[in-house]
Amino acid sequence: MIIRNIEINNFRNFAGLKATFEPGANIFFGDNGSGKTNFLEALFVLCLGRSQLGAADNVLVKQDSDYYRLEGEVAAGDNRHRIAVAYQKGSRRRLAVDGVTARPAELFERFCAVSTGPEDSVILSGPPGARRMFLDMYLSQLSPRYLSELTDYHRVLSQKNAALKNEIDPAPFEPLLISHGARVMVQRGEFLNALKELSRQYHGEIAGGEKFTLKYEPSVSLSDENNTGPGEIELAFQRTLDEHYEKEAYLRTAIVGPHRDEIFFEIAGLPARTYGSQGQWRTAAIALKLGVYRLLKDRRGGAPLLLLDEIFAELDSNRCDRLIELFGEFSQLFLTTATAPPPQLITNGCCYKIVRGTVENVS
Amino acid sequence: MFNSAGSVERLINQLARLPGIGRKTAARLAFHILKSTREEAFELADTIREVKEKVGFCSICYNITEEDPCKICRDPQRDRHTICIVEDASDAAAFDRVEGFKVLFHVLGGRLSPLDGIGPDDLKIRELLNRLDDHVKEVIIATNPNVEGEATALYLSRLLKPMGIRVTRIARGLPVGADLEYADTVTLTKSLEGRQEIK
Repeated sequence: MIIRNIEINNFRNFAGLKATFEPGANIFFGDNGSGKTNFLEALFVLCLGRSQLGAADNVLVKQDSDYYRLEGEVAAGDNRHRIAVAYQKGSRRRLAVDGVTARPAELFERFCAVSTGPEDSVILSGPPGARRMFLDMYLSQLSPRYLSELTDYHRVLSQKNAALKNEIDPAPFEPLLISHGARVMVQRGEFLNALKELSRQYHGEIAGGEKFTLKYEPSVSLSDENNTGPGEIELAFQRTLDEHYEKEAYLRTAIVGPHRDEIFFEIAGLPARTYGSQGQWRTAAIALKLGVYRLLKDRRGGAPLLLLDEIFAELDSNRCDRLIELFGEFSQLFLTTATAPPPQLITNGCCYKIVRGTVENVS
Repeated sequence: MFNSAGSVERLINQLARLPGIGRKTAARLAFHILKSTREEAFELADTIREVKEKVGFCSICYNITEEDPCKICRDPQRDRHTICIVEDASDAAAFDRVEGFKVLFHVLGGRLSPLDGIGPDDLKIRELLNRLDDHVKEVIIATNPNVEGEATALYLSRLLKPMGIRVTRIARGLPVGADLEYADTVTLTKSLEGRQEIK
């Protein structure tokens, strides 16, 4: 999909601005603190109704203001849609597509966006929660069914945790925990399997041969790793729950299930979390996101929006050059850089300068 | 919020405690009551008092009633082999409007929700088990199709099945009169999972 234009009001450091875009590369440059990342965030929120950085709505509202509003036109295939996202402090965020009120899950179903920025290193280096957040954000775009199963799973989980805390028998919630949880795990397994191959390819292309691999490590121990059907996982889930019954009762919290899943990453034959460098983490994160982009494009039949925040910051010049060579396969991308954009990019793209909350087309 | 008499403020506070009523609506209702005639306002107040004085729970099915046992439990025309289990009295009223579905009810008085501090002992489950005798052939579990309602249904079915009673669950999927093209994919998935052979 292509973003044609956007109108931003009171979002982060932007008071009010309008901008139109072209297919291909849209390059934003400007000094630190000028609002480059904020601009990409506005595009992401417009598409999916939430921030890629996990920022809450009241944080997105410009200082000294009490609301924000984003409106823009996107083209998906032959169709054009106007999306509007508005939030007033003290009330709920409102979404509309073509003037009709929409639920958040509907935006995930109809539009898709992939973003990568400096914050992504945490997927490789940070706590397990960061990896699950990555998984949930993008798998939810690939499958509305996943989002719905995950929402139900978390609802059941909080009921089970409340039961454990209040010494109510949690047993009535366990069959549901197992059935929703197993479906979440099946989808995670399939997604990561497909992503493993795609991200390995992209990583190879950018890093020039350095090996990258990933492995899904569910919290439920499977007796046979090759048998990952829903039935098999449900049995294994039940078995693991039984094994941890006393521990859960003692800790008064649920410790078995997809909310404790992990992804294991390996760069150049070593565990990424312990041995990776900043540049290696960043490269791997970009490869992962490009892999996600490809998966979304192939399975949903339309290219997602691609946002690349400060992608050249931590990469060496060889990796930067090889990354730029890949840009041809993306129908529209937005990238930011604090330094001068590489010359080979400027010739094929549209340049914008951001100065203290204003955007100017300088190409 | 308003620079008004203390009793008006109290009325607004009372109304705002009702479900689905925010402070703005509560203020509107309060001023409406102020504007209405004495008779109208007193009638409302009396009705509320009367409801609390007269209406209680049926000692058999725990539905709301003015007489004990309730009309439904006393009705000899009803199918006494089937009990429909619901969360609240309002659900029983909804099912009772269904033509040709004149069965007995059992009102649980809520659903399992540890987040709200509600466990099996807080529902009328023991009372349900005491009711089940040889006459009862089928129990229909009609709790809501959400996480808490499903957990309650599963819990009940595990209790009831070993007793040799037929336990059924109401269907879920597309609402009657719906347009397929506007249904969300999750609802469509549920309707496919619950598809039935045409007889």
